[in-house]
Amino acid sequence: MAIAKAERLMNLALCLLGTRRPLTKRELRSSIEAYLEAASDDAFNRMFERDKDDLRELGLIIDIGENVDGEAAYQARRDHNQLPPITFDPAEAAALGLAARVWQQARLAGAASGALQKLRAAGMPEAEADRGASGALEPRIPTQEAAFEPLMLACRDRRPVVFPYRKSDSPQPVRRHVEPWALECWRGHWYLAGWDRDRQGERVFRLSRIAGAVRSRAGAYTVPVPDQVRVREAVERRAGEHATATARIRLRKGCGYPLRARAAEVVDAGEWEELLIPYGHGLDAWLAEFGPDVVVLEPAELRAETVERLRAVAKG
Amino acid sequence: MATNAIDQTRRMLSLVTYLRERPGARVDEVARAFGISQDELISDLQVLPMCGTSFRGGDLLDIDTDGEHIWWHNADAVDSGGQPLRLAADEATALLVAARAVATLPGLRVSDREALLRAGAKLEEAAGENARASSRLSVTFESEGGVFADVDRAMAERRRLWLRYYSPGRDELTEREVDPIRLFVLGHTYLEAWCRLSEARRTFRLDRVAEIRLLDEAADPPPVTPRDLSAGLVQPAAEDPEVVVEVGPGGRWVAEYWPHDSAEELPDGGLRITLRTPDPASLRRLALRLGADGRITAPPELAESAREAARAALAAYGE
Repeated sequence: MAIAKAERLMNLALCLLGTRRPLTKRELRSSIEAYLEAASDDAFNRMFERDKDDLRELGLIIDIGENVDGEAAYQARRDHNQLPPITFDPAEAAALGLAARVWQQARLAGAASGALQKLRAAGMPEAEADRGASGALEPRIPTQEAAFEPLMLACRDRRPVVFPYRKSDSPQPVRRHVEPWALECWRGHWYLAGWDRDRQGERVFRLSRIAGAVRSRAGAYTVPVPDQVRVREAVERRAGEHATATARIRLRKGCGYPLRARAAEVVDAGEWEELLIPYGHGLDAWLAEFGPDVVVLEPAELRAETVERLRAVAKG
Repeated sequence: MATNAIDQTRRMLSLVTYLRERPGARVDEVARAFGISQDELISDLQVLPMCGTSFRGGDLLDIDTDGEHIWWHNADAVDSGGQPLRLAADEATALLVAARAVATLPGLRVSDREALLRAGAKLEEAAGENARASSRLSVTFESEGGVFADVDRAMAERRRLWLRYYSPGRDELTEREVDPIRLFVLGHTYLEAWCRLSEARRTFRLDRVAEIRLLDEAADPPPVTPRDLSAGLVQPAAEDPEVVVEVGPGGRWVAEYWPHDSAEELPDGGLRITLRTPDPASLRRLALRLGADGRITAPPELAESAREAARAALAAYGE
């Protein structure tokens, strides 16, 4: 039976960490059973390169030098790879334990528990069971979008990407060339901010609208990455969260609690109430939801938009 | 979660450091410290004796277990270093981003927030350059401050809550008494609780709580397994009635916000979306919102109720 990959990686890590001098590929091959069993030199070389990348992904710094005969040789020096001394009190340990559980994305969940295990090995105390708020509150970060992981890596490594992107109102995805800057999760959705090469400007993309594979492109960024990337403001503006005016509506008593909760003023009018509410982009659609329980009074433009929406529904 | 080779390798490297310091460590305690099941630990312990600095030199890790304790017979012979490995970029990112996100929760206790910030600062220092990538990811949790504090207190003191709660589907406020089970954050903050009115488990979004009061009665929810949220919050049941919504290009967003069974492309650039919901009447609001961008095509009585509501609304404008 083939030797499990974890066993092979573990052996390579222990060899590289344990050696006092750099080891050549030949020496490593003769020390690790899985490499000896490789069917050919090619198979071994491919396996070795992949394993080295995997160990680097785990944070191992592998130095490449030369042995006395000028052959390439590898070593993971202890002093380059050790966690500096670090201590946590029980409250800090409990807080980190709670934080590590928020990821639902496999790669980050694995990385978070891997980090905790390293800290545990470094002597971090175990959390006492059930510490009030930490035990009660369960924050979760949703990451169901397939584009999340490749974009996270591209942001980390600063690699330009290309992906098919479907705007909200268009069925046809369009290829977008982007220099990714940062990912932000807001109201449970992930957004990417970056430089859009096609449109020569800063853009925000919603990950759920990426309609296919994210591919990375060779080459460097053409525009410097800003220190502060503000995804949230851009999204809020588009979602019509910024009111630009005030609308006056009539609302049937007992209905439309969220409208009443936002009202700046409520005046009693028998079976109805008159409300002043903030008026921003998209308000007509929201008001139409309340059907006969809302009547728009002013401005006239909002009244006309709402009526038009209702007419379309009445026609079926 | 399925263990992949990278996660297992990472874990075994830490295990080796951990076990060196603790001869005769108990299997159950090590599993708990590492946040894994005892079975996972045992399978790691079966791999470790195959590992070493050279499989020929006889310096394999001589680690074994009787199922209760773990013994390492040549811990001194095999050089596996003293300190654990430094934090990788992904590891630092995963912990730091999560710590910053949790620290923004308004309902968090001050002492917990301070502990989190202290721990984050230590981590940043220990991770050094590898902490930098964490600035590329950020998460904002939203939490409804005032209500949150009362819910948190009810949970800590195990007390029943009285709520006036808004149901958007029916556009109505209802009063309920609930026994809290847990609080979780998934985009918004939610309370999972046993509802005494419906004698069933219910999920309440905190920003829809219009009023809240702590009651003197002790909370007494029946023992229930917390809902599995990994597939999302809304998980329609197979027996829920089916609703079909046809949207034009301007209504394609519906497929992003509503979990659905299928979304079929239409020739005009729109979609035919089939979804299931326990309460189809709640979708009348969606039909009204869509206007010319879409309409409900099934069930017919739901489509008719949307048309009726629109006609009634238009009457107030003199149409």
